[in-house]
Parts: sequence; structure tokens; C-alpha cells
Amino acid sequence: MGLISSIKIAKRALTRRKTKNFSAILAIALGVTLMVGIQITTDTLENAFLTSLLIREGEVDIRFSNGTGGFLTAADKENISALVTDELAIMPELKSSGPAMIGSQFEPSVSMAGIPFDYDAAFGEFCYWDSGEVMDISTYLTVNTSVLLSSSLAEDMDINKSTELPITLTTEFTINDNVLVGNETVTVGSEVRVNLTIREIFDSRHPGIGASYRGVVFSLEGYQDWISLQDPLRNKDVIGAYLIAYQTDHFTTPIDEALLQERFDALEEILPVKMVNDQEVNVYAIDSARLLYVGIIDLIFTLMSSFLNVLGLLIIITGILLITNVQLMSVEDREFQTGVLRAVGEKRGGIFRSMLFETLFQGVFGGIFGLAGGLIFGQVVALYLVSLFGSGSASVQPIVKESVVIFSVLVGVILGMLTGLLPALRASRVNIVEALRGIKITFEEKSSANFAVIGVLLGIVGIFFLITNGGINKDLQYIWKTSGWDNLLEWENILLGAGFLFSGLGIVFSRYISRTKAFNLTAIVLWGTPVFMFVVAMGNGWITDMSGSSMGILIIAIIEVVIGSVLLVGMNLPYIMRILRNTLIKIRGLKGVAQVAPALISSHKTRSTLTFAIFAVVLTLNVTVASLVATNIDSTIGQSEEDSRGVDLYIQLSAPEYDLPDTSYTNELYKLDSSITDVIGMKTFTPSSTDYTRYVATKDPYDPESGFNPQKNLLPLSFGELRSDQIRGEAQNAADENWRFDFYMFNLPDGVRPSTIDLGASDEELLNQSKTAWDRFFDPDYKMTAYNITFDLENFDISSMGGFSAATLDDVDPILDINGSVVQYPIVFTDSFLLPLGMPIWIAFNTSQFGFPVYQPFTIGGSFDSERAGGWPLSRNMQTEGFSSGSFSGTMGSVYFPERFSNYTDFFGMVDELSPDKREADQFDTFLVKTSYPFDHPGIDTIAQLIEDFTNTRKSGYREIIDDEFMVATATSLYSKLEASLEMMEQMTSFLQIYVNFGLIIGAVGMAVISVRNVAERKREIGMMRAIGFPRYQVMTAALLELMVLGFIGLFIGVVNGLLVNVGFSNMMDVPVVIPWGTIGAYLSFITFIGLLAGAIPGWVASRIPAAEALRYVG
Amino acid sequence: MSQNEAIKMETPQMSQPNESENILLIKGLHKRYNEGKSNEVHALRGIDLEVKKGAMMAIMGPSGCGKTTLLNMIGHLDQNSGGEIHISTIDANKLSDGKMTAFRRDNIGFIFQLFNLFPFLSAVENVETPLLLKGYNSGVAREQAKMLLRDLGMGDRLYHNPLELSGGQQQRVAVARALITDPAIILGDEPTGDLDSTTSAEVMTLFRRINKLNNQTFVLVTHNRWIAEKCDYIVHMIDGKISNVEMGPFEEDK
Repeated sequence: MGLISSIKIAKRALTRRKTKNFSAILAIALGVTLMVGIQITTDTLENAFLTSLLIREGEVDIRFSNGTGGFLTAADKENISALVTDELAIMPELKSSGPAMIGSQFEPSVSMAGIPFDYDAAFGEFCYWDSGEVMDISTYLTVNTSVLLSSSLAEDMDINKSTELPITLTTEFTINDNVLVGNETVTVGSEVRVNLTIREIFDSRHPGIGASYRGVVFSLEGYQDWISLQDPLRNKDVIGAYLIAYQTDHFTTPIDEALLQERFDALEEILPVKMVNDQEVNVYAIDSARLLYVGIIDLIFTLMSSFLNVLGLLIIITGILLITNVQLMSVEDREFQTGVLRAVGEKRGGIFRSMLFETLFQGVFGGIFGLAGGLIFGQVVALYLVSLFGSGSASVQPIVKESVVIFSVLVGVILGMLTGLLPALRASRVNIVEALRGIKITFEEKSSANFAVIGVLLGIVGIFFLITNGGINKDLQYIWKTSGWDNLLEWENILLGAGFLFSGLGIVFSRYISRTKAFNLTAIVLWGTPVFMFVVAMGNGWITDMSGSSMGILIIAIIEVVIGSVLLVGMNLPYIMRILRNTLIKIRGLKGVAQVAPALISSHKTRSTLTFAIFAVVLTLNVTVASLVATNIDSTIGQSEEDSRGVDLYIQLSAPEYDLPDTSYTNELYKLDSSITDVIGMKTFTPSSTDYTRYVATKDPYDPESGFNPQKNLLPLSFGELRSDQIRGEAQNAADENWRFDFYMFNLPDGVRPSTIDLGASDEELLNQSKTAWDRFFDPDYKMTAYNITFDLENFDISSMGGFSAATLDDVDPILDINGSVVQYPIVFTDSFLLPLGMPIWIAFNTSQFGFPVYQPFTIGGSFDSERAGGWPLSRNMQTEGFSSGSFSGTMGSVYFPERFSNYTDFFGMVDELSPDKREADQFDTFLVKTSYPFDHPGIDTIAQLIEDFTNTRKSGYREIIDDEFMVATATSLYSKLEASLEMMEQMTSFLQIYVNFGLIIGAVGMAVISVRNVAERKREIGMMRAIGFPRYQVMTAALLELMVLGFIGLFIGVVNGLLVNVGFSNMMDVPVVIPWGTIGAYLSFITFIGLLAGAIPGWVASRIPAAEALRYVG
Repeated sequence: MSQNEAIKMETPQMSQPNESENILLIKGLHKRYNEGKSNEVHALRGIDLEVKKGAMMAIMGPSGCGKTTLLNMIGHLDQNSGGEIHISTIDANKLSDGKMTAFRRDNIGFIFQLFNLFPFLSAVENVETPLLLKGYNSGVAREQAKMLLRDLGMGDRLYHNPLELSGGQQQRVAVARALITDPAIILGDEPTGDLDSTTSAEVMTLFRRINKLNNQTFVLVTHNRWIAEKCDYIVHMIDGKISNVEMGPFEEDK
């Protein structure tokens, strides 16, 4: 029979076996749903990230600013216009930030911007927050005290759409000249608080120009008025930047990034230059946040998308298992018909073809249904993403590319065909006589010669991987060498080599010995090798070289563990079922069930194995994720508590505390609550984004040889002053045990450094080294060699974290002066990952009258160990501001220097009497607070609230003492900071679990399909059971038990495998294993519930079938 | 009280009839399929029948006359549409499903044309299953099943799967399963229909031997006159009614 007849047979099979085909189509549709869902959510997530970042840039493609800091002028517009080609519009903008109070709400750093009324329509529109209609800003910004408020700041300040306008906003400006503010003359050098009138609120989520501003908007002229107050020359012609737009509607029409990059590069080439310190520097600096964001997001999403796809692939395996299972059942169902077809002359090829055509049709239908399912799945995930990232529903729209439609049908067809191959092959090889006799039990056969050849090939591949170690790759060690077990790359080859070799051997052996014995060997090696790696190699610290793809190894190991365990259980299913039978048969009322249910499971070995394999794969992934997260959270909390060293809270004031004659903020805090046992005041400083004179220089600005370029060699880092008494009682006495809190250093200065940080060292050893490092820090005579580490922000490679490995300086040359002497500077400590050990930095001190240069050089002598819960409560990962808040300096980190230098800078207000920031030695702005409560005690939050109430309540508490309403304290418990990151970790985990749990749905559907099919094809057996005396409940229980046993086997494999993987990682991280009992309990409940649901209905139906009718049934 | 005795107490017990008593009494038995629907089939149209304990009865008739339906009614595998069936003195139709199942398990043995053994259980497992359902200890059940199978000449095939056995061997296993609970009545639906003549003769000889040895009643449905004549009497059916009862003996050697 030819092709046409094969298609006809397939068509007939499809139309006549509606229910059975439905299950196959459903299985394929689920697989496609998952693939399409992953595609859509990845695209959506990328779009959500990109949009939420780009929305802040509005319609701006490139910004021009002053190349050497400071402002631009109106005259620059012509020059810039001449440089830019093809632009749609250019707009001037003046931006800075300052404190602001609306009512009793205070924000220490509100962004303020001045923009012209006549900005080009290309930049979009301002829209009213309440109505969404377009707003004419010129009707509101009539004087320099009129402002517009962004809706996002309004929300932060508890203002809603029904709040009556206008309302008053109070802010502060520094005035360098006598000026008339209202009717009052304000004198030089003072800070003046002014009341601004909020005339209207614009929607800062509406795409367009309004989206660029999240604070307060003035007219350009109005804001120039205020900024000019800080300029002794009272120059009002100040522009912060010129904004260039090449197109409009960026939100709906993404710009061609390649073209934008091309234009950006071309502009960089033609930027005019001028001479500064005999150096050529650009007159203008250009940047494109759009390109920067796109670059960062590309990087993040390349990683994320590959991770999701790998995860999806693993889950797709469950889908493939289900579809193959369903297809195999179809083959079993129609063995009789196949036998008849073969008997009347149909060739094997014809049977094979008709089966493939059938699966092809199923694939097409499954693909179409899967597309619909994927769209729903994508929508659900997108909604979840809105809650996760909170960036507004507008920015999380499901993205459905046209290619997804073709992709989904294609995946459906491929899945259908792929999973149809084995069943089609089996159908075509049906034994005609047995098929016609209705024999459905197959007996174990020896493997064919062809199969053995595949085994040999697999074996060769395995040997290839094994001899790669030491043989093909000489950098790696031979497997028989002890040192060959300490490297992740070597383990990758061992895992792959052993896996392929023993899979091949199993296949070959199965030709000569029983399949069970042969594949038991394969299964034990497949499962045992990664388990050995996790438990023994990682447990005993064998693996010291972590180079190589840990994610890749994790995936290979999980795949091998799953295949090995499933194969092992599958091969030994009859023995396991025998044990189950012998156990259950002792229970009165279940003896009949015990006799048939386990026997049914082991008699359909392939079907049963495929069923529990679905759960084994999914639950291995689930338990791995759940247990890793639980272990990680538990160890993070434990480590944080230990490393917090008693510090429970930190408080940041919006301005330095007042210098009061009779009391201090510290004293007032002690009075608040008797549980407060220690308050450590500190001075910190954060330069504003336009205050370039207070940035850190990464090259010597005075050395013509250094090639200092202010556009590339200035870093906006925060500063902190550290006093010995903040660390311990006696700074110069290393033996003094009276440390106020302990800490860990990741990098250590010369003299301490030779003992390179050993990750295996005990906390005590590391702590002792860190204490010695602090001796150096406070020692006025100690200086450290400055090493020749060049740092250029422009060349900083974010993907390799700058490529610095700062723990050792062995290969780095010291810097020599012109006399050939080694240059040495005092040391600073940092929490910034940007600054490697030994690197010289220059901090701008405006103290030349004391004999210091304006830029004082330091050497990076150490960094806080951020792996140990920050090690230092103020370090990077403990700061309130992060990347998401848009604080650049918060991202870059801080530099801490000893108190003796603080006297020579006005960062902390100690330079001269004229300094506007003048602060006394004990005027702190940041406080670390210890309490008598345990780390995670809710009483700490109560104290935090008490401190905020004391400081932030109008006309009472601290504000009453200082008679100033412009002071705000933010009290944060360290545990709450930890909670935030734990919450983030849990959110990301739950996001991943959406995918993983989808596998559970596939498993549940698989159970239901198998249950229904079992009942349908076993009607005759059910009739027999009823005839010989099986009560209805036992018929039903037998159906239920079969499903439950398969589900529990899957659960057991998943839990064991997941925990073994976790044991490895816990061992590696040296933290105790945490078993997520709750999650395991949830999965147990899920499987029980699904098993009951999927088994009970068909089981009940089965038990109600009259015995006589069931006995008449011919399947 | 032993466990087995306790279980027996829960199931309806037949009074022990003497040989002259009827073990089976059927009065005005009707069976309609698809009752009230356009495709209603009136399969049994008022059957009245008495069968004495220890008798061996054959039911014959053309296809579709209601033989198997009658057998299913006797075995309480299906619900009747009217009339009564008393096995000994018990009208099992009035029992709950659970009690009827237990009654069937303890008092009726089935032998089918296609043997209807569980293909996923070995011969001995098939045979011991009814005993397990009665609550026997698995070891005891296994021993009794083995003993019975040995008696039936299947001692060397105890652990074979049904599909590894010949038709005659499978039927012997089915017979063993039917006998293991020592039922009062054994119902056979074309028990030799799938067997060759030699094996059929062996099986019938086996039935007769058991019948005589245990005084168990046999009701066999068959198309085969030769098989029917091995019984004590033959009930002929046409169109759902008994048309004639032919009394034996039919063979000289009987």
C-alpha cells in the first residue's frame, strides 16, 4: 500500500479514535504551550526590563554634557546642532537633586529639572495624572516658585489623585551671594529654605517626556534662577545637558540600536577638543543611557534566557515522556488491528508511515492548541511579572512575535513526529500472530545487533570524553591522578565520559545478558557518578578549582542523576512491586488489591516507568530548586546574624546631626529605649551626580605622564570616615579585645597580605588577619605600595567584573617615582568591587592651605568581605540604595579613610569656618545601633519605628530639640535588609518555579490520561475481578493504588535526587543542609490529590461497570 | 473464632441442601437490555428452572437465544429485570452489592470460554486470588492453590504466565480458580469453546470427576451437543425461553 493509503489509514484512525487522539493532542499541546510560554515570557520579561529602564529616558537617545564638568550654555546649542545630523529635535535641560518636604513627608534627594516650554513635540507630552489628557506646562510654570510634581514622587509622598492642589513643597538652596528671596534678603554662604507651589501633577508613567522626570519640574528659566544662586557670578545661562532625539514614540517603535550605536560612535569621533593640563580633552561628553541599558539587558537576558531555556528543555523532557507514553498506548491499543493489516498484506513501512502521519496530524493540532495555551501561559506569567517587578502593567505587555506562531506549530509537529518514531517503529514490528491472539504482554528479549552498534558508538563517545582529561586536553589531569578530581572541567568530562561509556556498555551487554542486569550497570554508573561528585568530591573539598561552567555541570549532573535513577527503578520495577505486594497483602481488605495493582504496574514496565519518570524529572528539579533556596536562605540568615556582630539597626539622617551644647543625637537615642545598648555614630558623604570636583580620581591628575582624562578617570564614589573608637576601644592596641564589632576583610594590605585569603580558613583566622589589617589602617606611619593597576571606566568590562582579581598582587609591578623609589600612600578600605587591592586613587581634598595637594593619593589597602553578610554593616550590599533606585554612587560603592584625613576635607565639614558644610568632629549622619534583642527579633523593628517617630514627627522629639522640621531619619534593621534580599530570592525562585511547576501539570495530565486509558483497556480484567469476588471498593482502590504508587515513586526519586544535589552544594558552601519539608509535604499532597482525582473518577466508573458487560468487552 | 470463620459470618450462608433439594430455583426470570429505549432487547422472557444439588446441567440453543444472559443472571454478574433467582434459599438479588459480591465469591465459580485469567499474574497467583479476597493468609492461600493445581496436573506450571500456557492448561488454571473457594455451583460459559476436541474431552472428564467427587453443581452453556451429552440433562432455549428439557443419561458409559 502506498503513501495515500497510509494517509487514509492515519486519517481514519484520527477520526475514529477521538478520545484516544485527544490525549495525544493534549500531551503535544502541553509541550508546545511550555515552549511557546517560555518564548513569550522571555520576550516579555526582556521587554519589561527594557521598557521600565527606557521609560526613564523618555524620548532621549543621546545626551551632550560638559566634557570637563560644569554647565553648558545656550551658545552650545549651535555647536551641538552642527555636530549632530539626522536628529529630530534638540532640547536643553538643567537637572540636579536636593531635599524636599511636602507636608510632613520628606525625601532627602528629590530630582529637580528645568525644561523649556518650547521643547520639541518629538520629545512627547506631559499628561495630567488624573485625566490622562495632554497638559500645557506653560500655563503652570509661570514663576520660579511654581513647579509640577511627578506622579511617582506623589505616590511616594502619599499624595493621591484627589489631593487638592496647589500644595506646598519646601526645599533648600545654597546661596553664594546676597539675594532677594520673596521680600527677604538672604546672605552669602547660607542655606535658604524656600516654599515652592506644586501647581499640577503629571503622569510620570505616561510614555514620553513626562516619563523622564520622577521628581519636580520647573521652567528652564525658573530653575536657572535657583541654580544661579550657588554661582558667585550669578550666571543664569546654565544648561546641564542637551538632549537629542532621533525619533519619536520610542515606547511603541523601538529604535534601531545598531544605527544609534553607529551615530553615537560617529559623534564620538568628531567631538571637538580643548587643552586641559596639557591634555586634549573633549569639550562635550556624550552618553546614551538607551545604549547602555540595551547592552546590560542583552547581557542579563543572554544569561537568563539560556537558563530558562535549559530549564524548559528539562521540563520538555517530561512532555516528551508523556507524549511517548500516550503514543505507545495507542500502539498497544491497536495491536490487533495492526496484526490484521499486516495479515492482509500491509508492509512494515506502510504501518510505520501511517503512524507517523497520524502523529504529524496530532502535532499540527497540538501545535495550534499549544499556541493558544502558550498565549494564556504568557499572559499569566506577564501578570505575575507585574507583581514581581512592580514596574507598571504598561511595561509588562506579553510580547508575541509572529515567529512564535510558526514556531509553535513546528514544535508541535517535531514533538509529534519525534515521539511518534519509537511507537511507529514498535507498531511496524508487531508480531502478527501475537497481535491477532491479543497477547499484550511482551517478554524480555535480547537486544538486536543494530542496537548493539549504537551501544558501541556511545561507548566510543564516552571514551573520547574520558581521555580528554590529560590526553586531548593536556591542561587537565588524567582520571587516575589524584589531582584529576579537583577541577570542574575535569568533572564535566568524567560525568559525560562515564555516562556515555556505560550507556553504551549497557546496550552492548544487553545483547548477551538480561536487559535488567545490563541496564542496572548503566543506571548505577549514571546515577552514581554525579552523586559521588556531589556527596564525596564536594563534601570532602576535593574540588578546589571552580573554573568551568558550573551551570553546565549542574545540568549534566541532574540529567544523569534523573536518567540513572529512573532507569534503575524502571529496570527493577518487578522486584520493587513484589516487595510492595508482599507488604500490602498482609493488610486485611487490601489483599485483592495487593495481588493485582503491583502486578499491573510491573507488567506494563515501559508505561509505568514513563509515568513515574515524568514526576521524577519534575520533582528532581523542584526539590533541587526548593532545597537550594532553603539552604541558601537558612545559611544567609545564620551567617548574617553571626557577622552582624550585634549591630541590629542603622540610621541615616537626611543631614548631619545638630551640634548641640547639652546633648547629641547619640545621647537622645540611648534615652529612647533601654534595649539600645550601643550607638556608633559615623560620618558619610555622597557626591551628587554633577559634583565632579568630589569624585575619586583613578589616575594622578597632576602627573602629565598619567594621561589623566576627567571624562574617563573620575568615579562617583561615596566616602566614609572611620575612627578607631568606632571599631574598638584602643585603635593602636591589637591585643585589645574590646572591639565594638567584628568584621571581615576580603583583601588585606601589604604586611598582612602574604596570607592570601584562604576560603577554607576558619572565621577566627580570617578575623585575626582582618584585625591586623585595621592596625595598618589606623597607623599614621603605615603606607602601602601603590601598584601599577590602571583603571579606565571606559574599558571596564562589566561581564568579567572588570577582570580584576584583587586577592593577589604577585604579578603586578609597584609604581616607581622618577627616582626609582617605590611610591607608597596611606591606605583606604572600600566596599566597591571596582577598586582592586593595591590600586592608587586620588581623593579631592580642597585643603591646599594645609600643605596637602588638592588631590590626596591613597592606596586601596583592603575591601570588606561582602560575602559575609556585608562583613561591614555599611558596605555595598547593605546600603539602602541600589541599582534600582537609580543611585549611581550607591552602585559604585564607598571608600572609607581614617579620621585623620577628615580634618583636611570639607566632605565632612571640617576645613574652614566658611565651609557651608561645616561640621564638628562629633556631628554624625549615620548611626549603627546595637540592641539587647536577638538579630531577627520584632522588637528591633519597634525600636526602628520609635527612632523614626522621635526624629520625623513635626514639632516634637528631635525636631523640637533642634527647632528644625527639615531633619529626617531612616532607621533600617539589618534583618529587614536581609528580608528584602530574601524576598527577592524567593520571588525569583517562584518565577522559576512557574516553569518547573508546569512540569507538574504535565505529570498530572499524564496521570489522568493513563488512568482513563487503563480503565478503558482493562474492562475485561475488571469484569473478571468483579466475577471472582473483588468488591467495588477494591476495584477502585486497585486503580487508585496503581497511580499513587507511580506518583510516589516519582516523588521519592525526585526528593532523593534533589536532596543529594543539595548535599553537594551545601558541602561546597560549608553550610548545613536544609531539607524543605514544607515543599516536600506540598508535593506529597499534590501527588496524593492528583492521584486521587485522576484515579478516583475512572476507578469509580470502573467499579460501576456491570461484570457481565465488562466481560463482553473486546478491547 | 478464626479469621476465616469471622469472614464467613459476614457473608450470606447457604443452608446445606441434601441431594434431592434444589440448589438453584429460577422463577419467571426476565432480562431486558436498554429497557425503555427504542433498541430494547428482551433477552430472557420468563425463565422457570430448578437445578438439584450435584447435578450437571447443559444449556443449549442458537446464538442470541439468551444462554449466556441466563448464566450471567445465575452468577449474579448482571441485574435481572424481573423474576427471582434463588441459590439454595437465598435470593441474592436482594443483597447489597458488597454482600452479593461476597456471596458470588464464596458460592459460585466461573469458567469462561476465553479462560479470562489475569495475564499479569502467574497460574498460582490467579488461583489463589479468590482465597486472598476471602481474607486468607497469603501463605495458606498459596499452599492451597498449589495443591489444587497439582491435583489438576499443573504442578510443573505453577509460576508460568497464562500466555505461556496452552489453551487446555489455561482452562485447567481457570477451573482451579473456580474451585478454590469450594463453591456450590460452577458456571461454565462455553468452557471448551476455545479448545480442540481432545482437550475438550479432557476438560469435560475433569468436570465430571469434580462433580462426582465434591458433589458440586455444574451449569454449562455450550453449542456442542457432544459436550452437552456429558451432562445429566440439557435445557434447550429459543428466543429467551426454555423450549425443552432433555433428560440424560446420554452415554452408555455414564
